[in-house]
Amino acid sequence: MTSTHAPAHRTRSTSVPAVVTRVLVLGITLALTVFIAPVLISQQSWMWLTVLLLAAAGIFVLYSTKRFVPGKYLFPGSFFLAVFLILPIALTVGYSFTNYGDGTRGTKEQAVGSIIASSVQQSPDAPRYAMTVATSGTAAEGPYELFLVDPDAGTVLSGDAENALEEVPAGDVTVVDGRVTEVDGMTVLNAGEVNAIYNELMELAVPVDESTAVRPLGVNQAFVGTTVLQYDEDADTITDTATGEVYTVSVIGDEEYFVDSEGQRAFSQSWLQSVGISNYERLFTNPTVANQFVSAFVWTLVFAAGSVLLTFALGFALALILNDQRLKGRRVYRSILIMPYAIPGFISLLVWSNFYNQEFGLINQTLGLNLNWFGDPTLAQVAVLLTNLWMGFPYMFIVSTGALQAIPDELTEAARMDGASRFQSTSKIVLPLLLVAVAPLLVSSFAFNFNNFNAIELLTGGGPFPDGSGRGSTDILISMVYRIAFGGSGADFGFASAVSVCLFILTGVLAAIQFRFTNVLEDVN
Amino acid sequence: MQIRRKSFLALGGLAASMTVLAACGDDSSSGGTTGGDASDGGGAATGGDSSGRLVIWADEEKAPALEPPATAWGEENGIEVVVEVVPADELQNNFITANQAGNGPDVTMGAHDWIGNLVQNGSIAPVQLPSDVGDTIAPIGIEAVTYDGQTYGVPYAVETLALYANHDLTDAPAPSTFEELISAAEAGGAENILSLPIGEEGDPYHMQPIYTSAGGYLFGKDSEGSLDPSDLGVGEEGSLAAADKIAELGEQGVLKNSINGDNSISLFTEGKSAYLISGPWALADVRDAGFEFTISPIPGFEGMEDAAPFAGVNSFYVASNAANAGFAQQFMTDVASSPDVAKAMYEANPLPPVNLELREEIATSDEHVVIFAEAAEAADPMPAIPAMAAIWGPLGIAQANIVGGADPHSTMEGAGEEIATAIG
Amino acid sequence: MSTTATARGDAQQRRMPFGRWFSEIGWRHIIGVLAVVFAVFPILFVISASLNPSGSLTSAGLIPTRGVTLDHYAAMLSGERANFLRWYLNTIIVCGVVATGQVFLSLLAAYAFSRFRFRGRRGGMLAVLLIMMFPAILSMIAVYTMIADLGDAVPMLGLNTLAGYIAVLMGGAFGQVWLIKGFFDTIPKSLDEAAIIDGATHWQTFRKILAPSMTPILATTLLLALVGSMSEFLIGSIFLTDDSKKTLAVGMYGMFSSDRSNNLGVFAAGSVMVMVPVIILYQFLQRYIVGGSTAGAVKG
Repeated sequence: MTSTHAPAHRTRSTSVPAVVTRVLVLGITLALTVFIAPVLISQQSWMWLTVLLLAAAGIFVLYSTKRFVPGKYLFPGSFFLAVFLILPIALTVGYSFTNYGDGTRGTKEQAVGSIIASSVQQSPDAPRYAMTVATSGTAAEGPYELFLVDPDAGTVLSGDAENALEEVPAGDVTVVDGRVTEVDGMTVLNAGEVNAIYNELMELAVPVDESTAVRPLGVNQAFVGTTVLQYDEDADTITDTATGEVYTVSVIGDEEYFVDSEGQRAFSQSWLQSVGISNYERLFTNPTVANQFVSAFVWTLVFAAGSVLLTFALGFALALILNDQRLKGRRVYRSILIMPYAIPGFISLLVWSNFYNQEFGLINQTLGLNLNWFGDPTLAQVAVLLTNLWMGFPYMFIVSTGALQAIPDELTEAARMDGASRFQSTSKIVLPLLLVAVAPLLVSSFAFNFNNFNAIELLTGGGPFPDGSGRGSTDILISMVYRIAFGGSGADFGFASAVSVCLFILTGVLAAIQFRFTNVLEDVN
Repeated sequence: MQIRRKSFLALGGLAASMTVLAACGDDSSSGGTTGGDASDGGGAATGGDSSGRLVIWADEEKAPALEPPATAWGEENGIEVVVEVVPADELQNNFITANQAGNGPDVTMGAHDWIGNLVQNGSIAPVQLPSDVGDTIAPIGIEAVTYDGQTYGVPYAVETLALYANHDLTDAPAPSTFEELISAAEAGGAENILSLPIGEEGDPYHMQPIYTSAGGYLFGKDSEGSLDPSDLGVGEEGSLAAADKIAELGEQGVLKNSINGDNSISLFTEGKSAYLISGPWALADVRDAGFEFTISPIPGFEGMEDAAPFAGVNSFYVASNAANAGFAQQFMTDVASSPDVAKAMYEANPLPPVNLELREEIATSDEHVVIFAEAAEAADPMPAIPAMAAIWGPLGIAQANIVGGADPHSTMEGAGEEIATAIG
Repeated sequence: MSTTATARGDAQQRRMPFGRWFSEIGWRHIIGVLAVVFAVFPILFVISASLNPSGSLTSAGLIPTRGVTLDHYAAMLSGERANFLRWYLNTIIVCGVVATGQVFLSLLAAYAFSRFRFRGRRGGMLAVLLIMMFPAILSMIAVYTMIADLGDAVPMLGLNTLAGYIAVLMGGAFGQVWLIKGFFDTIPKSLDEAAIIDGATHWQTFRKILAPSMTPILATTLLLALVGSMSEFLIGSIFLTDDSKKTLAVGMYGMFSSDRSNNLGVFAAGSVMVMVPVIILYQFLQRYIVGGSTAGAVKG
């Protein structure tokens, strides 16, 4: 976002480069808008069009005048935040009122299309023709005609959507290797051209009778197929032309399906519908789900707070111990202790997850233990915290070291003179000073761990699961919701979205409390 | 300030040289895949106009085997073919999502038991197999890709479980009962009797032979022979007997939570387990291990049912929103009628083929693969109905917990209730 | 660190009797060594696994027991097992742009939050914190659909492009606002007020006076953002399916998740090659990090 370079003066003089930059930025914005907007309109991408226009308007309002100075600095980041976080959140809220999930991902039209398309049956006795597509117009526009060679009889047939198949006089076409290669007065399409118009060709099936037609199959074959099911748009019913059975739309559970005369679901396809607040109802009224939600929430708090406290405690203690001027090799210690933090988390977690195997894991083998790390709920929680401690303590160690070095020695020395013990001077003078400095870090560390999906998913996968598959003992909220949304037992985005929204509200409340906390600190400073 | 400047400069230099290094290396190694620009164009193509590239998705194990024959096929037919690797456990979901958004591949590979879910999401188009397909493809392959009377894919390989035995650690290379297996391994003094992946989340696929031999079943069949989601076997009498057996084996140390998908094969290949229950994918590793081994059908418990592992059929599917549906269907027809692609894939990754011609060819050269192919003919195809998705999680966890010492009956019944609720 | 200080330390130690030395200094070494062991053993494991010829989990330990081989490195670098170098390059591009962008945009916003008093400032800061806490991966499907749409119109920003992926990760643009704002607050306001009186614009003040004194916090947040974005694989694995577009996290996770047991060797070799530059970077910027996030706060 170079747009932020646009200098906007609160005062007096306006330099030449500043004006040039501003004109350039506004010019580029205008050019991009003019260039992209028509494409978006042609793609009917209204949402992105709105984003584009709002962004362009925002840039013009903010950067063409000297007013709105804070806005100039906030806009670039806010733009990304709004488009890639807030907009998706809004869409997620929308999903939470629908049944979006496996079997209900598309529109009704798509579901009907899928049902009908799946009912095409190859006529068992009919031959599979070698197909050639020819046109009297252009390859891209048509009109098209199919030329088919019957592999058994060797006869050449032709037809199109209006004209049924009829035999072609031998002189009109050239047949090589059982395939029509040239047609008098027409252009023969090559494979790539046939592929390009394939969907159109499918609709141009050459009719044999009412429900049977010759259809292309790949780019050089055609088969005779019967569409067993027909959809009647006015009546909103699907009819089986073979048996005469009529399927109607009916609601089963939360979803609409086509059902047979006995009310049994006839096809597995359903479609996206609004379900009102039923996802929320399920969350709050189903005791199992509500219980899982609450226990996951409690563990999430324990996990996040525990991670912060443990990493800070260890990091701070090490900083205190290793920050003695007289200690040789302080720098070596520091260089080594920082290492775990430098390793990308996905590597650390995948490696650690193998350490905990009861029989073959490094920890039990090296220490001669026989702990059932991932099988016992409490031990699994310990394992999660221990791993997170390993990943996080170096940061706290470095931060504390920095803060300790900034605390003037005179302060502690004076306290010691006054007769305070080492412990007293540390806990009464150093720690409070240091806490003030690192409090914002602790808060952001807590926020990070609250949603630390990787730390759970890559380590334990949420397990163990002593009470069934709903929630594992180490599942934090986000990993539990992720499993609902994308998990093995069928995706359920609608419900997962509802849970996310509740989770969001919860985190919002927590964030507000934290904000109070940091705000107090800000006032102190 | 001076020092700071300098170090930042040096830092920039470091980053730059790393970039150059990586870039150079890339030029020399990217021969197999397309360059950046070309694929950018392709990204555009999948969105709107359909010029260009036939994209096939496969998991990391099958993609390398598929790439050469698929590319060759593309050259013959005048279209560039690109094989993209998508992690196995995310392939199905990503495919559905991408296809729904109009950005999916033209063809995807996957196990046949995905079909139910893919169909209910309208993600795949039917495939019309040639009428003489019975002459080219084994019956189990065709059966597996047929769902609700329609064929949806072209099968290429079939996988099922069998028992590997290490001759150094047991005198019974092909035990006829599970009890014989245990006593032979105990006599052989192996560290572990049997390597069967369970972990903390369980693995119902690998547990299926034990579960079925003790009388468990997943779904009953209705009068027409198709699976009936309302007749759930988990939590019923047979499954409780199986739970008892699993608990007993867990107590004896035959089944262990510490053996999981990560280590089950290597435990066997390193001589730390007398037996291994695994599929043809373990074959290459076991051959490399350097000891004598035998592959045989998995035995059942004495006086109980036969062990019936699942058969999983790997197949190709055409995406319903394929940008190149013409070529995609063409590819299907060609794979279904000629053994060329299957053969090239077999040579790179020896999975038991469903192509009959290829099977005959390897009948004498590769006895192990043939054993697997025969075992698969006797196995049950994995149920493809969407309700299966509700089974894996709860049943696996129940089995894992029972191995770990949980009460067999109440745990299995609990899983049954959970599954029944999920199916609705 | 002046040499004289160390020399004095040495002299003191020599004069000290062992008992006293131990109670004052020695025990610190014991703790230090224990901490080093705790910090280092997983790293040793990875290095050992990367050199272990067998490459399977059951035979891996802290020390390679069956000889040492560079095969796994060769397999990764030659592109035999994976398009590793391409992933490496992509990662440098993605993480470089995302981290720099995140820090730069956060810096701009932090300046506004710290130095200007405007309506909605407090609310804005609260909103940023709140929104950053939304479990973003749960809106993955929504983001996916959005980017798919955008890609139809502007192919450069669509799925399977690094630019599109970068744009999505830039949603976390304000990830570093809090740390940077905290640092801003510690820089005396008199500094920029003086500049403004001298006739500088707010942009000039920001660029010439304030930003240069921010080096420590910028180095710190840059590393945080870098390592953070390097670990992202969930969104990546659905966005980047084209092998030549994958990042290290996406590619290596995919590789490892398929067959952990047998891929451990190559995974470890890849990890070492990812780890080493980052560790070097950290060593290099260490003193900024030490001074970075808090020094000002305490002094102030």
